[in-house]
Amino acid sequence: MKDDYLWDSSGEPDPEIQKLESALGRFRHNQPAPAFDQVADLLPDKRRSWFFTWRLSFQIAAVATGILLAATTYFYLGSKPGVQQSASWEVARLAGEPRVGSKTLGANAGVGKLGVGQLLETDSSSRAAISLFETGSVEVDGGSRVRLVTNGPGRKRLSLERGTIHARIWAPPGEFVVDTPSAVAVDLGCVYTLHVDDSGAGLLRTTMGWVGFKLNGHESFIPAGAVCATRPRIGPGTPYFEDALPAFREALSRFDFETTMGGERGALLGVLIADARKRDALTLWHLLSRVSDADRPGVFDRLASLAPPPAGVTREGILRLDRPMLDAWWNSLGYGEVFVWRTYERNWSQPQSETK
Amino acid sequence: MASMERQNVTIPQVSNPTEDHGLVRAAREGDRAAFGRLYDRYARMVHGILLSRIPPREVDDLVQEVFLSALRQLHALRDIARFGAWLATITRNRANDYYRKAGPEAARTEPVLEKEGAERGNDHAQEQEAAIILELIRGLPETYREPLILRLVEGMTGPEIAERTGLTHGSVRVNLCRGMQLLREKLGQGAPVERSRPV
Repeated sequence: MKDDYLWDSSGEPDPEIQKLESALGRFRHNQPAPAFDQVADLLPDKRRSWFFTWRLSFQIAAVATGILLAATTYFYLGSKPGVQQSASWEVARLAGEPRVGSKTLGANAGVGKLGVGQLLETDSSSRAAISLFETGSVEVDGGSRVRLVTNGPGRKRLSLERGTIHARIWAPPGEFVVDTPSAVAVDLGCVYTLHVDDSGAGLLRTTMGWVGFKLNGHESFIPAGAVCATRPRIGPGTPYFEDALPAFREALSRFDFETTMGGERGALLGVLIADARKRDALTLWHLLSRVSDADRPGVFDRLASLAPPPAGVTREGILRLDRPMLDAWWNSLGYGEVFVWRTYERNWSQPQSETK
Repeated sequence: MASMERQNVTIPQVSNPTEDHGLVRAAREGDRAAFGRLYDRYARMVHGILLSRIPPREVDDLVQEVFLSALRQLHALRDIARFGAWLATITRNRANDYYRKAGPEAARTEPVLEKEGAERGNDHAQEQEAAIILELIRGLPETYREPLILRLVEGMTGPEIAERTGLTHGSVRVNLCRGMQLLREKLGQGAPVERSRPV
């Protein structure tokens, strides 16, 4: 093949690529490995081995202290059901007087602690910032109610009951999720804003990276620049780019959330197919699995004309919703590799109230 | 971070997935030498991913930060066969974090590059050309610039990129070809270097 040299340096050398390699090689990685064995305080194992060098009497004292602490914690937490004081996040006041549990954070209150089960509430004039060690930060706008649901290793879960949060997450994908009344937002390495109104309807807008939105098996992937609405009892709608044509957006909103009859639904789908731009392949890909069997060929044809399916993805396979083929087509769109979602989404995807 | 003592290690060009799994397993059990060998095998991937996203002057330090972060989190890795993909994700997140912490000033990647280029060699014209080409690649969509930098800068082959990052051969090959096509078009147009933050 003519791209063999680009692929694996085999075949006839391409002079232009060779020139690029020669020019760019100066930026190549050339730093030897740090002395990882001198990084003494990083791994739990290291601390554990150090622990086991203690003398027996010291171990006994440590164990006794541990038992005493555990018993104290048990009895203390037992008197406050639903709140685990040991697992808390820092809350800083940004404006007004946000409330953490029963405590008000005034101008001179310093940093508050949000424990598991506790509620952070802002009125219309207050804002707050939650700091999550090695996970990210979340700014909470006025008029919001946010509860810390879970704070375990690799599992951080907030519930946004109402209002708006701006999340900047740098934890590995899938470690941070936010429940809303109508969907679960799973971070896949990103910056996003999530809004929930009083009816429980939500809107997620991704600024960087991408977010997975899911409820009851209904998945939406929202890359940077895209938004996705969600409604109670329905779940996440179809994501779209905000610069889509107004008629396209209007038709999509009605298609996702209004009860429409067959003919009207077909007309809305017709608008979506006719007004889709190349960039709206994002929306059409999602629609493949949301339309009826009868409507799917039309969506396939339009999507294929805007973003041809990669090798190995067939019309027949897509029409029968072959998952690997759908995933391969998604990967070819360039918004992110779907294995990130399949790997990290795990069992987060039901709101806490539904998994109990 | 930059002052951390370094060890001289030969960077291998050929990978062995089975051996990688053994190294990950050993590193999880506290074997620092094994983790050092993983660094040797994956440092080019980490370096290339970072170079596709953040200013070159910051990349070397961040490579070390990424590996130290991975060392801290290694116990949480569920599937050792996905070590490369996991490390790549940490790297991308760290690059995102760089912009969050550094603010808009960090978006103006060069002309520091020009100064850095001048320090690396004597032929200033060649250095400038290389800097311009790098900026052209960094101006491509994320899907394309990462594999292109891994291929053209780090010298990895397509199969190596796929194996290291956990992507499929088909995906990497398509992105390399499309990215190269876009780069050729830009080079053919004599496009000016856009001094902006990668999208």
